[in-house]
Amino acid sequence: MDPDIQNANPTILNASDLPSRRSDFLVKKRADSGTGLFDGLVPSYSYWNDPFEPAVSSDSEDDDTAEVIDEQEVFDLISTISDPEHPLSLGSLAVVNLPDIHIKHPTSPRSPISTVLVEITPTITHCSLATVIGLGVRVRLEQSLPPRFRVDVRIKEGTHSSAESVNKQLGDKERVAAALENGTLMGVLRKMLSTCE
Amino acid sequence: MPSPEGAPLPFTLQPLAQFSPASNSRTWLTAPHPRLPIVATASSDKTVRIYSLTSFKLLNTVSGGHKRSIRTCAWKPGLKGESVLATGSFDASAGIWRRWDDNAGINDDNGEPLDFTSSGKRNDDSEDDDEDDEWRFAVILDGHESEVKSVAWSAGGQYLATCSRDKSVWIWEEMEDDNFETIAVLQEHEGDVKSVAWHPQEDLLASSSYDDTIRLYKEDMDDWTCIAILNGHDATVWTVDFEPADVSSLTAEDGDPTKSAWLVEKVKAGPRLISCSDDLTVRVWRRRPKEKTDPNPGQSRMPSIIKTGSIEEDWYEEARLPQHHERAVYSVSWSKATGRVVTTGSDGKIVVYAEQWRKPSAEKPQDVNMDSDNPHIADTEWAVIAEIEGGHDEYEINHATWCRRRDKGKRSEDEEVVITTGDQGDVKAWTLEN
Repeated sequence: MDPDIQNANPTILNASDLPSRRSDFLVKKRADSGTGLFDGLVPSYSYWNDPFEPAVSSDSEDDDTAEVIDEQEVFDLISTISDPEHPLSLGSLAVVNLPDIHIKHPTSPRSPISTVLVEITPTITHCSLATVIGLGVRVRLEQSLPPRFRVDVRIKEGTHSSAESVNKQLGDKERVAAALENGTLMGVLRKMLSTCE
Repeated sequence: MPSPEGAPLPFTLQPLAQFSPASNSRTWLTAPHPRLPIVATASSDKTVRIYSLTSFKLLNTVSGGHKRSIRTCAWKPGLKGESVLATGSFDASAGIWRRWDDNAGINDDNGEPLDFTSSGKRNDDSEDDDEDDEWRFAVILDGHESEVKSVAWSAGGQYLATCSRDKSVWIWEEMEDDNFETIAVLQEHEGDVKSVAWHPQEDLLASSSYDDTIRLYKEDMDDWTCIAILNGHDATVWTVDFEPADVSSLTAEDGDPTKSAWLVEKVKAGPRLISCSDDLTVRVWRRRPKEKTDPNPGQSRMPSIIKTGSIEEDWYEEARLPQHHERAVYSVSWSKATGRVVTTGSDGKIVVYAEQWRKPSAEKPQDVNMDSDNPHIADTEWAVIAEIEGGHDEYEINHATWCRRRDKGKRSEDEEVVITTGDQGDVKAWTLEN
C-alpha cells in the first residue's frame, strides 16, 4: 500500500447506483431530497418522456440557446473525473453528488448569466487534495459548459477541516488562471480529466 | 435604460467601438497612455497589444519578454519623447519596455491617424525597422516569488510598485537609465496582494489583498512602513484606486454654507480611496485629517486621536456605492475629468456612479460610518447613473477604466470613454449618452 495515499480504503459506489437520466434511482433521489431550485415546478411523473424535453445528444452543443442544461447533465460531466489518488471516478467515490449540484438561471431578462454551484464532498475531512479535486471540477465545467455559465465549486459544509480556505482559492479567478499555467498541476489535472469523454 | 428598481437612469452606455483585431485569449487590463492616443492591453497570450484610440486598430503587439500571462501593465507618467511601459506577469517578473515616440504620435490632437509602422525619429541609430522591435524590452525586474498581479507608477514616475501572490509589495526606484533598485519589500499582507495604487499628490501607496484588507504605506526616516490598515471588506479586495486630485463634480455655487463646509473638509482630507471586492461591495475611504495646532480649537470637529509626530494615518469608510453587482467586482476606476466611478466584474455588468449632494429629506443609510452627523456640513450620496448588463455578451469583464476620447467623433476636449477588457480577448470603448 502506498504510504502517501491519504484515504486508503474509500467507500465506493457501484456504477449502477449512480444517478443517470435513465435510472429509477434518479427519480427517487429527486423526489425526496430536492436537487435544485425548480424541483417544486417539476411534476413527479417520468419527465424524461416529456416530448418538450430537448433530446440530449452530441449535436445539441452547437446550439447554446436551445439547449437546456440541468443538474443531471452537469453531474454527467464531472462524475467521470478520476480521483487524483485512486483509479476511481469522483462519482463512484461520492465526491460529487447530484443533490449537491445547483443551477441558477438568469436573475433578470436582460442578464445572460447562469450559475452552476457544485458542492464537493472530500472522502476524508483533512484531504489535502480537496483543492485539486475542486480545481478539476471547475476546469472540467468551464471547458464543457457554454460561456454563459459561471462555475462555483465549494466544499460541502461540514465535510472538510479547512473548507473556507479551499473555497476561497477555488473562487479566485486569478489563482485558477495561474494554476492552469503551472505545468505540474496541469499534468495532474489532465490525468484526472482523461477519463472524461 | 431602467434600473432594477424601475426608475430610468439618466445615462446609457453606448458601444462606440471594439478594438480590432481582438486577442484570441483572455485579456486582463487596458491602460490608457497618459499623453498619446493609444492604450496597452495585457493579454494571457504573453503579449501586450497596443491599440489606437483614434482608429481602434491594433498598432503593435509587444512580445518576447514574459514566459507566462501578462496580467497587468502601466505607463510611466511625465515623460516626453519616449514611452515607458511596465508589465507584470504570472512568470513572477515585472518588465520595463521602452519606445521612442514618433512625431506623429506627439501631434496626436489634430485627429490625424497615427502611423506607428513608420520608424520615426530616434536618438539611437542601431535599431532595425521591424515594427514590433520598436518596443525594447529594457529591464526585467526579478524578485517576486510568484505571479505579479499589479504594477503602478507613483504620480511623478519616481517609484514603481509591484505586488504578487507571494504576499509582498515591492517598491522600485530607477536610479539611472534602466537600473532599478529595490527600495522596499513590504510584507504586511497575509494573502495575495491583488492591486497597488499611488496617491496622486503624495508618496503614499495603497495595496489590496486576498486577506480582505487594504494597507497604506509611506516613507518614514528612509524606511517604507505601513501607516494604516483598512478593514471592512468581507472578501478579497480586487482593486483600489485613488480619487484624482483637483476633481470634483460637486460645487457650492448655490451659496449653501454647508456645501462649502463639505468642500473645505474634503480638501483637508485629500483625495479619497475607492475599493471593490469579491464581497460585491464598492467602498469609498477617507482620511481623517490630523489635528494641527489649531488657533480655534472650538471649530474643529476632528477628534485628536493620533499622537503628534506619528506617521500613522486614520482612514475610515465614508460611503458604500449602491450595490448593483451580483458577482465579484474586479475593477473600479475614478474619472479624472468628472469624478464619476465605473465598476465591472464577473457578472458582466458595467456600472457608472456619480456623487451628488444628499437631499435634506433623504434618510441616511445606517450601515455606513458617516463622519458627518454635523448639521453644518452637507452630505453626499452616490447614485448609479448608467448600467449595462452583458457588456461583453456572456463573458466576464476583468477591467474598466476611464480614458480621454480621441477619435474624430469626440464632442469636447475632455470627453471621456469607458474602456472595458474581457475574458474573450475583447477590448471595447463605450460612451455615456443621455
